[in-house]
Amino acid sequence: MTRFMLGILGFAALSLAEEASASAKNMPAALWDQLNVIWLALSVVIYLIVAVPSLIFMIKYRYKQGEREFGDQEHEGHWGLEALWTIVPLIIVIYLATHGFAIFKEMRTVPKDALEIKVTAFMWGWEFEYPNGKKVYAFFKQDKDPIKGYTAQEFEKPVLPVGKPIKVSLTSKDVIHAFYLRPAKVTQDAVPGRITYVWFQVNEEGEYWVFCREYCGTWHSRMFAKIKFVPEAEFNQWLGGQAELDKSHRTSQLEHTNIYATKGGALQ
Amino acid sequence: MREAIHVEKPWFAASLKEWIFTTDHKKIGILYGVTSLIFFLVGGIMALGMRVELFNPGTQHVSPDTYNYFLTVHGALMLLWWAIGIWGAFANFLIPLMIGARDVAFPRLNALGYWTFFAASVIALITLIPGNHIMQMWTGYPPYSANPNSGVTALFVFIWHLTGAASIMGAINFLTTVVRMRAPGIGFFNMNLFLHGISSMNLIQLLGVPSIAGAVTMLFLDTYLGTNFFNPAKGGDPVLYQNLFWFYSHPAVYVMVLPAFGVISEIVSTFARKPIFGYKSMVIAIWAIALVGFIVWTHHMFVSGIPDWVKIFMSYTTVLIGVPTGIKIFNWVGTLYRGAVLYKTPMLYALGAILMFLIGGLTGIPLGLPAFDVAVHDSYFVVGHFHYVLGMAVTLAAFGGFFYWWPKVTGRMYPEGLGKLSFWVIIIGSNVLYFPQLIVGLSGMPRRYYDYPVLGDWVTMHQIQTVGAFILAFGVLLGIIALIKGAISGEKAPANPWMGNSLEWRLPSPPPPHNFDETPKVEKDYCPHGYCKF
Repeated sequence: MTRFMLGILGFAALSLAEEASASAKNMPAALWDQLNVIWLALSVVIYLIVAVPSLIFMIKYRYKQGEREFGDQEHEGHWGLEALWTIVPLIIVIYLATHGFAIFKEMRTVPKDALEIKVTAFMWGWEFEYPNGKKVYAFFKQDKDPIKGYTAQEFEKPVLPVGKPIKVSLTSKDVIHAFYLRPAKVTQDAVPGRITYVWFQVNEEGEYWVFCREYCGTWHSRMFAKIKFVPEAEFNQWLGGQAELDKSHRTSQLEHTNIYATKGGALQ
Repeated sequence: MREAIHVEKPWFAASLKEWIFTTDHKKIGILYGVTSLIFFLVGGIMALGMRVELFNPGTQHVSPDTYNYFLTVHGALMLLWWAIGIWGAFANFLIPLMIGARDVAFPRLNALGYWTFFAASVIALITLIPGNHIMQMWTGYPPYSANPNSGVTALFVFIWHLTGAASIMGAINFLTTVVRMRAPGIGFFNMNLFLHGISSMNLIQLLGVPSIAGAVTMLFLDTYLGTNFFNPAKGGDPVLYQNLFWFYSHPAVYVMVLPAFGVISEIVSTFARKPIFGYKSMVIAIWAIALVGFIVWTHHMFVSGIPDWVKIFMSYTTVLIGVPTGIKIFNWVGTLYRGAVLYKTPMLYALGAILMFLIGGLTGIPLGLPAFDVAVHDSYFVVGHFHYVLGMAVTLAAFGGFFYWWPKVTGRMYPEGLGKLSFWVIIIGSNVLYFPQLIVGLSGMPRRYYDYPVLGDWVTMHQIQTVGAFILAFGVLLGIIALIKGAISGEKAPANPWMGNSLEWRLPSPPPPHNFDETPKVEKDYCPHGYCKF
């Protein structure tokens, strides 16, 4: 059973390593990947250090009638060994915490040239506000079907430039939500009455998931957004497209109001 | 004052009236055990309901509100009734037997504690009635929990108040009993590790529960009486609740796991038929975990907007907990060395608990590093981690404890083959259920999701989990059948079937109502762990 578990652990390590190389360029995912590899390697080694001797002792020292019916009553401890397995783990965890500290500091330092946007969370959707006042709303869908339930229409997709650091200032209109951008591997709570921040950089074009990660009620699981990452020129064009903006803005505002009305009192 | 009446009947032959009015620690222990097990099964059935819904993406069988209700109650029942409540059963039954006492220090307070716990159970059942659902999760974070969308907040608050009150009554009682009522010769450094586990657990309960009681009281006032402790619009702060909540609820994790460590230590040394390896470092490790456990709580709040320096400070204290925990694991392995390992059902459960707890611990370390946590906070990785700790280490230890002390409790042996089979089914089912949670969590799946998009291997991973959940449920069923079958038709158990050296094995099985005929005298070099020399 233990060997089976180790097999799965090794398999998981391999599949994660593959995934890590694909997202290596994104920030702060790249930093996270470094720490993940260290942790995974240490964990597998520590598991083996404990499990292998355990299995050997379990087999070698098993009860045998007439031959080995009770254990060595004098074998009650060994100060040297006990000190060893206090000090070595102590060094390992202090190392991990310190390495994690250094990485965390980098994760929390926003690059100077970051584009700043505001994101306001509400039950159950996201409002993205750009520096020029342009807003995009992403809403939950109540559809029974998983494909339709997780489909976003074009006007609901916020657009961001690839290869550029982006700082998001986060808050919430009602209850606590959490902003999680999947390829960036970063989470931050959106707390009413507070402004929190998170920064990331995505280097490959595409549509990426944002999920709410703090439980927030009936449709928590459908509180998603799909962010389109496009080249900077295309982003600037989109940002300036005022006529398009007004239309989409109105539509989504209307839907927003409808949802509030039908949910009646779902909000404070 | 009534005169003491000599009673010859064993505990299970009592009338209904005796069960209700009893102040006997053994009967109250049984009451705790039965209540905990029933609610464990209810929580398990709710988990199966959720797993069936998650088998496919989209909405199939239950509505999101029902799912959220199941999830809330599953969390509350598994933590408060099972992982904490079950130790009330073990503590009640075993503490007086292990220290050579007639009963606990305050028998009537003990009965009041149980019936308060029972009142909480009634409230938990009331939430089953449609319209009374609670949907704020077991954490009940405001402002959401003060929002009508979250269901009946009052019931949520009363569940915490009543279980909390029961916990404090139990804590005072057990601590006083262990400190004041030990037979001569049993001291701090030669009492059972189970007693250390239970005492440290109850010290945490005593110091921590007032914090959560205050938090939910403020939540109650905010929701119904218009105060604004957690309302940011009027100058309150929702993060305050999280601080108060986790100040108790993180140490509460050690409330659940420290007694499990105690049970594992008892079982491993008995079935390795030798003293526990490194007894003193085991004792120091237990108390170190209990104390350091109080300064790690913000690792639940690494992404909630608290200052970064607090995250770093609590990151160091969190990973530090890994050191005493590691000591315990290494010492258990050391106990096997040069032993005579006898594979009975309780030993299988204990060894399974150790090897699975190790996975729970190793996945817990990175969660203490804010740089790692940001990617997996509130993801299935966290769910997998705490199910390895609570769903496996604690649950396997509790089942190991059931089988280990079953002959003492009922006076009859359980069926060995069925017991072993239940272990293998449970451990296979649990791993099939919980390991994919770690994988799907690392790939970003958020927790507390009623539905999920078709993304990567999420669908397959959820389907594997659902299969695992049913295997696990079948294993639990087998285990309970084995216990019931043993109690009804098992062979008569000898006083000391495992040749343990602890005091409870020197009593007949089941113990007489008054426990010891006279205060037991232990030998000069009494060591509760090891092979019985008599």
